[in-house]
Amino acid sequence: MNDFSELEAELKELRPAAPSHELSLRIERALAAAAAITPSAGVLRRPRTSRLNWFTLGLGVAAAAAAFLLLARPEVERVSPSQPTIAASTPALSNNALPTERRLVPEGVTRVVYDTRNEGLVFPGNGAQPVRRLRAHSQETLQWRDRQTGASLRVSYPTEEVELIPISGQ
Amino acid sequence: MENVATHEDWKVCFAELAPGLVLFARQFVRTSADAEDIVQEAFVRFWRKQHSVENRALLFATVRSISLDLLRRDARRARREATVVADADHSVAPQFEDTSDTQQALARAVDGLPAEQREVLVMKIWNELTFADIASVLGISQNTAASRYRYALGALKKNLAGHE
Repeated sequence: MNDFSELEAELKELRPAAPSHELSLRIERALAAAAAITPSAGVLRRPRTSRLNWFTLGLGVAAAAAAFLLLARPEVERVSPSQPTIAASTPALSNNALPTERRLVPEGVTRVVYDTRNEGLVFPGNGAQPVRRLRAHSQETLQWRDRQTGASLRVSYPTEEVELIPISGQ
Repeated sequence: MENVATHEDWKVCFAELAPGLVLFARQFVRTSADAEDIVQEAFVRFWRKQHSVENRALLFATVRSISLDLLRRDARRARREATVVADADHSVAPQFEDTSDTQQALARAVDGLPAEQREVLVMKIWNELTFADIASVLGISQNTAASRYRYALGALKKNLAGHE
């Protein structure tokens, strides 16, 4: 087949050194320990395909919505039908100091990554190839500003992002 | 593909694969102790995931990945390994069982191959992986894997001829 067949045969006569008996014992202990820690060892984990931690993102959005509603509440009271009556009975409250309209305009989003971690090789449950898992923790901040008054609303929340990168040769 | 891991004792599988796996790991770390640490981690991961034992490319990819991670994680260690590689003839424990003088010369010639050729040779000769498997492990084409193998054999032949 080729002119290397003799050399290949010589190479195959070289027998790799056998690993130590200790290695087998260590693996046995490691497998036993793994089985003790996770009774379901061997069951394929659900693949983590989501790149965002939706729980923390949901918390952040909920916090932003709550803060927005709290801030908007006085405005709702001002435009309620009872306002003319109050104004009529108490002319001194002419709302000179209050803006007639308060609008918060989205001004920006910032994201500060404060921790990244390479968690090494993992095996997606249904994947044949290992992938590298990178985890990043960051703080995202949403900001609104009332252009008339200059008041601003800022909401920050933590996020966690997991990235799975297929392993390839160097 | 049959998943041997679900019904066969891991020791049977390990006994068959371990010498070749350790030899492969030693292409990166060059000491038996480090190589065995890598093989242990790789095999435990592989077995716990119940991957098919027939999918040896994945097992070797795991060994390779762990080896490279180890080298990257510790730059001082990498430099030390490079030094060890440079002094391989004198300081590295033999990778093969008791050999004759001729075989020792052959082993030294293998040791002197470029890393990219040597790892292909180790997977092909002593672990009997196909070029498709090797290509999968290294993330290269089958043609490239086959070329590296031929270059390795050519270099060995040339090296041995020079010593005769």
